Amino acid sequence: MTVLDVNGIASGYGEVQILWNTSIKLEKGKLTSLVGSNGVGKTTLLRTVMGLIKPWQGSVTFNGKDITRMSPHAKAANGIVLVPEGRQLFTDMSVYENLEMGAFTKRAKARFDENLEKVYEMFPRLKERADQKTGTLSGGEQQMVAVGRGLMADPEVLMIDELSLGLAPFLVLDLFEILRRLRKEGLTMLLVEQNVQMALAVSDYAYVLADGKVEIEGPSREVAANPKVREAYLGI
Amino acid sequence: MDHLVASLADGLLLGFVYGLAAMGLTLIFGVMDVINLAHGPLIALGMFGLLLFAGANGLGLHPYVALMLVAIVGLIFGVIIYYIAVRRVLDAPHLSSLLATFSINMMIIGVGTAVFTTSPQNVEFSLGSLQLGSVTLLGTRLVAALIALFVTAMLYLFLYRTPPGKAIRAVANNRAAAELMGIPSDQTLALSFGIGAMLAMLSGGLIATFFSFSILSGSVYELKSFVIVVLGGLGNPTGALLGGLILGALEGIVPTFMPVSWVPVIEFVLFVVILLVRPSGLLGER
Repeated sequence: MTVLDVNGIASGYGEVQILWNTSIKLEKGKLTSLVGSNGVGKTTLLRTVMGLIKPWQGSVTFNGKDITRMSPHAKAANGIVLVPEGRQLFTDMSVYENLEMGAFTKRAKARFDENLEKVYEMFPRLKERADQKTGTLSGGEQQMVAVGRGLMADPEVLMIDELSLGLAPFLVLDLFEILRRLRKEGLTMLLVEQNVQMALAVSDYAYVLADGKVEIEGPSREVAANPKVREAYLGI
Repeated sequence: MDHLVASLADGLLLGFVYGLAAMGLTLIFGVMDVINLAHGPLIALGMFGLLLFAGANGLGLHPYVALMLVAIVGLIFGVIIYYIAVRRVLDAPHLSSLLATFSINMMIIGVGTAVFTTSPQNVEFSLGSLQLGSVTLLGTRLVAALIALFVTAMLYLFLYRTPPGKAIRAVANNRAAAELMGIPSDQTLALSFGIGAMLAMLSGGLIATFFSFSILSGSVYELKSFVIVVLGGLGNPTGALLGGLILGALEGIVPTFMPVSWVPVIEFVLFVVILLVRPSGLLGER
């Protein structure tokens, strides 16, 4: 079943068009990855889906309902949650307050205790650092707060932009382990990654974006075996 | 010496009220990067609000009951100003929001002059005085300082302990991220502007319990607010309180050495010195 259907999106900044008729679908309970080089429009697509940028053309449908023009905060209230690139934490606020802000919406508040316990169990470090300002944390800890904050929003669809960017390899492995676990629990996810190899290894279905268009799509295993992908992104 | 202590005490009491006014200015700037040039007229409106609600020709309420009404009107008025004038220029260059709030300033002063004229008004009110050794404290000023302190404490509780208050801090910190977490940033900004206007009008109402005023009086306190905000660091409410106390103390002490007309000179020399030496303010970061 398709939870989120992004259909024929054209979008960009000012006069500059970034996305050209881009379509992706997120299936319920599946981990979908969106990969491609730097600057092909991955983040722009996420921002357009969330409504931070208004699309020029195309539609976004969530569980059969058209939400193209819905404001970002209303989308979050409906369970569409983005962990943005560069983490975008509330750096002047404590770890706990960041998690609390993640659970701002009604649907998230209802399951606050349950979700907080889950986040603390996944990232014990955050419990230790609960009262510390997030601006003073290391990059890896900040990424944990960003993912934790996203989970506190009680997402039906969780989109993560550049999970691994700028993190030490062992941390990346830990975070991907968390993704595997969330997938097993049945969370619908979209992972946007420059680390193509890891993204293809962890996901069920993959889209390869090039120049603002979907170039290749298919089950991740097939995409990983595609000679074009192997040559261009995996360096094999 | 006694005279000096008395003047200092008097000035410090005023300083709390100045700090409250400056907090309104600094909160709005801290949250949405807008310098509210309608700050002074809002202070004046607070004074006239008190006159209307508590004056003999008005509703004749107790001044401190009237003050609560002034606060509520201030909140509503601030929210209206936000939606009319501030909202659409938030992402525009700074000049746009300066001009937008300046035009609100002109409108309030224009309408206020037409309705109230510019002749001085005052609210007949006295609470006697308190004798502490050789120092006499005016009751109205003492209560004003206590109310200002109470409102400051409430503002902190609100910002650090309640969901809407935390939402304001989140939006101030990172507006896009707040939106992504489901915080309606537009409404949150409107609330912040409302609280900023409320603080301005409250301070005006407090000042009106012991000074006479006209619709033009706000500009004096607006300038003081700017000095205070720069002293304490833009966007920092604690700094605003500290700056208010420093300014109040100066206003108390300076007239014991030199003519009163030198007070603004000293204040603005301080303003320039702080800008040169420590532009982020006494409590500012960096």
